[in-house]
Amino acid sequence: MTENNRHSSSFRDPSGFIFEDQGVVKRSISKLYFKQYEALKSSGVFEKLQHAGLLIAHKECSNSPSEIIIEPEQIPFFTYPYEWSFDQYKAAALLTLRIQKFALEHDFSLKDASAFNITFHKGRMVFIDTLSFDFYEENTPWRAFKQFVSHFFGPLLLAKYHGSESLKLMNTFIDGIPIKMLSSMLPFKTKLNPFLYSNVHLLAKFEERHSEDYDGQTKQARLSKKGQLNIVEGLYDYIKKMSLNSTSSEWGNYYDKTNYAVDAFDQKSDIIERWIKTLNTRTLIDVGGNDGTFVRKIEHDLDQALVCDIDYNAVDVNYRLTKKHKEAYMLPFVFDVLNPSANIGFNHQERDSFLKRIQGFAPDVTMALAVIHHMSLSGNIPFEMSAEFFSSFSKYLIIEFPKREDSWVQRLLNTKGEFKSHFDFYSIAHFEKCYQSYFTLVEEKAIDHSERVMYLFKSKL
Amino acid sequence: MLQMIHFLYFDPGLGAMIIQAIVAAVAGVVLFSKNLMYKIKTFLGLSKPQDEVFDDIDIEDSDIDNASHSDRK
Repeated sequence: MTENNRHSSSFRDPSGFIFEDQGVVKRSISKLYFKQYEALKSSGVFEKLQHAGLLIAHKECSNSPSEIIIEPEQIPFFTYPYEWSFDQYKAAALLTLRIQKFALEHDFSLKDASAFNITFHKGRMVFIDTLSFDFYEENTPWRAFKQFVSHFFGPLLLAKYHGSESLKLMNTFIDGIPIKMLSSMLPFKTKLNPFLYSNVHLLAKFEERHSEDYDGQTKQARLSKKGQLNIVEGLYDYIKKMSLNSTSSEWGNYYDKTNYAVDAFDQKSDIIERWIKTLNTRTLIDVGGNDGTFVRKIEHDLDQALVCDIDYNAVDVNYRLTKKHKEAYMLPFVFDVLNPSANIGFNHQERDSFLKRIQGFAPDVTMALAVIHHMSLSGNIPFEMSAEFFSSFSKYLIIEFPKREDSWVQRLLNTKGEFKSHFDFYSIAHFEKCYQSYFTLVEEKAIDHSERVMYLFKSKL
Repeated sequence: MLQMIHFLYFDPGLGAMIIQAIVAAVAGVVLFSKNLMYKIKTFLGLSKPQDEVFDDIDIEDSDIDNASHSDRK
């Protein structure tokens, strides 16, 4: 019966599958996995990992001889590896290794190391694939080693040497970066480092040499548990110390170079606070929310605040603050409003698009502060189109419009040179007209001593 | 004999299985020398403060405490 509602991404592992039961996500466990499941339960492995916040909590709904059904804690909004900043990605890699070490010490082992086994929830990375554990078989190597390199270590190394944007490759390579390609993309000096040489370059060579293994000889390779722990701990130490080679940022120190005076900044956040409170907002998304500064200024209690930005460094800063202050409601992620994540994977149904996820989440309020001029003047998106986009997932929109006279707008317009007149559409009157075909204006408020106006709109959809 | 269900799942790659003996040996040497350096540095009073963002690999009881008060502020 449950087969009918099987989630379209849940087909890789025969141990069980995810399905939806009246809007609640549940996991069906097949007979194949009963022994593992019961052992994980009785040994306290599930319990300890869940108490430490490393593994998603679950409760058992039913237990019959043919099927066990568990209900995991629900995740309100899913982010995927290609939407994480460098430090978030690092945290996910380290989480996988921590769990693998813990599993090994309890005679279990992760049978896969996919980056999609992890998502960001309640202010931290959490492992969500409850069925990823298998019994540890004495003297066998880690079957998921290659997968760990292609899903985690590889993308992190590429980010280190070529910039955080390399993490977007996971959007194309949903089964991980091919090892051979990874090896060829890393700088020569990585070959001189014995650790990197053995984990990446030699791995690529071995994989190529043994690519035609038709006899199932895999079973014959042997490795002691101590050896495997060395691999896991070695990777952990290395990844924990990894940092980006270049940390220049588009917006990294944005608030140092804005054209805002302190009182205008405070007035802006007061307006936001008042509207958020009046609407009794529980959930919101801040599009272009930088490091979460404005969301953190909101005193009103929120259940969940999605704060996304195109800038990887801003998301990194936000992530570190979230972690430091243990802010369970904050969800930082990388987002390019001009190119949101699409539906990908088999039958375009494995990983949902941003739009599908955000429409499912349906935040009470969308905030778009100081982004409209970038969308309109850098991205050339007409007001009608941005209005349509913003109206499709939230009931309310708080949007800040910098007038033509604003120094940032002037800077963007000046880059257009002789084509400046093509952007005459960028005016407050035209903005209001276009937005009012998708929204009803609730309130507008000019910010004193600035060329900016705040709007509160209600979607007509 | 326990049934290892992962054989049904995905191919780990023969090369990747064989190579792990070498990877483990290299990692062993690196870890050993790091531990040695750490001990020397601690002895000389040069040890660095703990990382605030990223945890230690071992799951301590303090992690369990930390996870329980994850409410806002």
